[in-house]
Amino acid sequence: MSFEPKIIAFCCNWCSYAAADLAGISRMQYPHNVRIIRVMCSGMVHPEYVMDALNQGADGVMVLG
Amino acid sequence: MLDNNKIGSVMIVGGGVTGMQAALDLADSGYYVYLVEKSGAIGGAMAQLDKTFPTNDCSM
Amino acid sequence: MTLSEVTGIAGDAGNFTVTVKEAPRYVDMEKCIACGACTEKCPKKVDSEYDAATGKRKAIFVKYAQAVPLKYQIDAENCIRLKKPGACGFCEKVCDAGAINFNDTEKIHSINVGAVILSPGFEAYDPKPAQVWGYGDFPNVITSLQLERYLSASGPTEGHLVRPSDGKPVNKVAFLQCVGSRDENLCNNGYCSSVCCMYAIKEAVIAKDHVPGLATSIFYMDMRTHGKEFDRYMDRAKNEVGVRFVRCKVNGVEPAGSTGDLRISYVNEQGRQLEEYYDLVVLSVGLQTSKETMALADIAGISLTADKFAATSDFAPVTTSREGIFTCGTFSGPKDIPQSVVEGSAAAAAVSEVLAPARHQLSTEATFPEELDVANEDPRLGVFVCHCGSNIAGVVDVAAVEEYAKSLPNVVYVERNLFSCSQDTQDMIVKRIREQKLNRIVIAACTPRTHEPLFRETLKAAGLNEYLVEMANIRNQNAWVHSDTPAMATAKAKDLVRMAAAKVTYGTSLKNISVPITQKGLVIGGGVAGMTAALNMAEQGFDVHLIERTDVLGGNALHLKHTWSGEHIPGRLGKLIDKVIWNERIVIHKQHEVVGVEGFVGNFRTTIRSREGQTATIEHGVTVVATGGSIYSPDEYGYRRLKKVVNSIEFDKLHELKEKHVSSANTFVFIQCVGSREEDAMYCSKVCCTHSVQTAIRLKKEDPKRNIFILFRDMRTYGQREALYRQARKMGIIFINYELHGKPTVTENGQVLDVEVWDHVLHRPLKIVADMVILASAIRPKDNAKDLAKMLKVPVDGDGFFIEAHAKLRPVDFSTDGMFVAGLAHYPKPMEESVAQALAASSRAATLLSKMAVSLDAIKAIVDEKNCDGCALCVDVCPYKAITLMDRGDESGGKIVAVNVAKCKGCGLCMGTCPKRGVYVAGFTMKQISSQIQAALAV
Repeated sequence: MSFEPKIIAFCCNWCSYAAADLAGISRMQYPHNVRIIRVMCSGMVHPEYVMDALNQGADGVMVLG
Repeated sequence: MLDNNKIGSVMIVGGGVTGMQAALDLADSGYYVYLVEKSGAIGGAMAQLDKTFPTNDCSM
Repeated sequence: MTLSEVTGIAGDAGNFTVTVKEAPRYVDMEKCIACGACTEKCPKKVDSEYDAATGKRKAIFVKYAQAVPLKYQIDAENCIRLKKPGACGFCEKVCDAGAINFNDTEKIHSINVGAVILSPGFEAYDPKPAQVWGYGDFPNVITSLQLERYLSASGPTEGHLVRPSDGKPVNKVAFLQCVGSRDENLCNNGYCSSVCCMYAIKEAVIAKDHVPGLATSIFYMDMRTHGKEFDRYMDRAKNEVGVRFVRCKVNGVEPAGSTGDLRISYVNEQGRQLEEYYDLVVLSVGLQTSKETMALADIAGISLTADKFAATSDFAPVTTSREGIFTCGTFSGPKDIPQSVVEGSAAAAAVSEVLAPARHQLSTEATFPEELDVANEDPRLGVFVCHCGSNIAGVVDVAAVEEYAKSLPNVVYVERNLFSCSQDTQDMIVKRIREQKLNRIVIAACTPRTHEPLFRETLKAAGLNEYLVEMANIRNQNAWVHSDTPAMATAKAKDLVRMAAAKVTYGTSLKNISVPITQKGLVIGGGVAGMTAALNMAEQGFDVHLIERTDVLGGNALHLKHTWSGEHIPGRLGKLIDKVIWNERIVIHKQHEVVGVEGFVGNFRTTIRSREGQTATIEHGVTVVATGGSIYSPDEYGYRRLKKVVNSIEFDKLHELKEKHVSSANTFVFIQCVGSREEDAMYCSKVCCTHSVQTAIRLKKEDPKRNIFILFRDMRTYGQREALYRQARKMGIIFINYELHGKPTVTENGQVLDVEVWDHVLHRPLKIVADMVILASAIRPKDNAKDLAKMLKVPVDGDGFFIEAHAKLRPVDFSTDGMFVAGLAHYPKPMEESVAQALAASSRAATLLSKMAVSLDAIKAIVDEKNCDGCALCVDVCPYKAITLMDRGDESGGKIVAVNVAKCKGCGLCMGTCPKRGVYVAGFTMKQISSQIQAALAV
């Protein structure tokens, strides 16, 4: 089987999370590997979260805001 | 005084998006509202639309 | 009250008795659980009104899937049983709830109210009787409303665009504009319906999105996309999406052979007769007042205009001819959704002005059961998986998600719902929470951005703290974006449910924050919009501060003479100014500017500075921005350089003063769209077409021998203004169309001006020797709008106009609570729309001012006293200045930070910055997020 990365995306409730919703409304198709975690602002994302995610096997972390 | 005879309730005839907005504002500012709709459910014409202009938002 | 109609209105303003006739539903609303078993069994199929006859419904039906109330009803006209006693009755047999009642009867209610608002809406024009479009004869000719249903995922074809005649895919579609509008011959609707141009473009764009490679052509007379952002949308449709626009009037639609194809014949701009073939023809039908609505107007005893819309004044756009009865929406003239919503609020404001003394007399607060303390209970999770009709269930294997959810730790109950958001499901969730003693809830459905507030209410209704719910976004961020890979979507849905469950397991009960409201308004801008908003708030009983930069009230209206319907502006404006000046609740601050703003909803502190430099600070609960606009000063057509080239406002003044250039002039040329609808200002100034036409009519009336030319791009005399355009043409005013790439030129030639423009019909340049050229200059935002926006922390768009919270549904609110916008500051608009928006802003403001306190959500930063060591890194990063450093006040002598929860927006910058875990955001704690990460990566 080909490599399927696991990606964690921290999305700001007011912009990137809303954009991800809008992608749905517009029926855009994108790879299913991303798991979105909603935060109230990307500034909320503590460096520890990123380390946590990578430690636990995430292949990539995105902080979108 | 004449003002004492005023009734603190309002009737809105038509449960489309306009009537609903009027109903919400009035209910939120302290009036009792009767929303009268001819058909079986509120929503009006906007509920029939698929997307709205210009943002292509879903109308629901 | 559904299935209800008003049959009589007696009494006077402040105290009416309204008679309402409620038709029988034949379904007991208390008992019906909207399971749909009845509809399944019902043998009688009829055309669905909701689907505009593109689909069928049964004789027992629910209007649409997300209907409120979600209760079935029997259509007596079509029910077999009601027509013939003893027959059929299947629905009654299958209804487990025993909700069917064939003996239901009509009820008459007599209701005492202080005011009445009429918002009956419109009916779509029926193109069948006119015959020329072949509607009703050829199945592939459909109306725009029918196309709307075909394109909808909840429509008869689930969004697949196929031909009604043979189900074949559609490759080529034509939209015919002005069907039932701007046409006195075929339908007697002389007015413009205002919305069809926009919806046709939208439908063309969406249709192209549904069917790759679809060819779409719009046949139109004038493109009337005058609303905010509409011209940009049209530009994109034309240049990026590839929608074709053809300016012409279509003669007719005929069948092309027996294939179901259609032939359209038209005369193009060059005057050539052409024919084209299409798979599908969509008629952009207009809006009209229905017979029932006219009967309602008669019952209410209010006057209508010649176009059969409710008659109103431009200065009181929601007030009908009968005192105490108001109108809003398309009943008072064709209009789009935002303007309808604005008028809904405006009508509420107008009512409130009359009924303010009786406020709170009859209203009651919603009550919720006492909250259960779940802090010491073990987590018991309930998971509700929404189908969202076919939106989720059509892609995700929801049954598998349900099964999977059952296997998760702490989950004790799982259920699937057709629509988790419907009222009956809400009631069901409340019941389940109680039965199963659930103390944490996961809703796997759409986005928390729109639906979390709803489910919070549900939890409250069940006596559970509203923050013990978490949504798994399996629609917007899953089913909709992975519809090509359903297996993967199902796997992701399981992950999302697992993540939500992990987070909510560590959720705790949180309390909303109650902040007192200063019951005062602040209005920035003393033009018509600002004064109207201030006056309405004052009449509703609230104190208002009105800030005006100049030394006079009145704003742009001081330069105007007549509204489009001919009302005299100076007279009305004078009365408005008087009322504002004499109202004891309004404090006017002339020659003052806003220089500083702080605070938040209910508790703003605004600093103003006088021209002399003195400052004052005002405390207020709401802010209305009505700073207006200004006229654009063009750099083209010889403006400023040539004395006989003036803008429309300058011309009006010269005309009024009977200046000799005007009175001796014989040939006048109006040039439209000067500074509008081009590169740097891709928006329509909305009022100029009507203004030029009105001025032209006046000039022609004064002296019919005058030659008057109007050079335009699209004539945008929308709504009932079309009558002016019609009158102007009849009077012999000459309208010449030009395109952006072939703008007219103006050159001085001795005492006269040579105006050259390309004539499309003659196919060569046309020279007009003019005595005066009048430029219809654009409306620009005020030059200081951007600075003010920065102070208020509200957004402006690329053109410099303030941006509302939602283009359709929140047209006067800013996304910042407690701030509202009205008038030209928002977008160019005519008098009655400014007034309506100002009233609407006041109405929205009153929803806050009428309360003593406002509740803010509990997603706020909380200081962990054990961990905070007072390093104060968070103080500087807080964008809202909500954190302060203070002494611990104990023997340690150390420092600690404190959060002002009213200022805190819960962004968590402090949390992201803190190296000691000394501060966290409620609802997004380190533990919650960590467990979410862990759950995401667990499999």
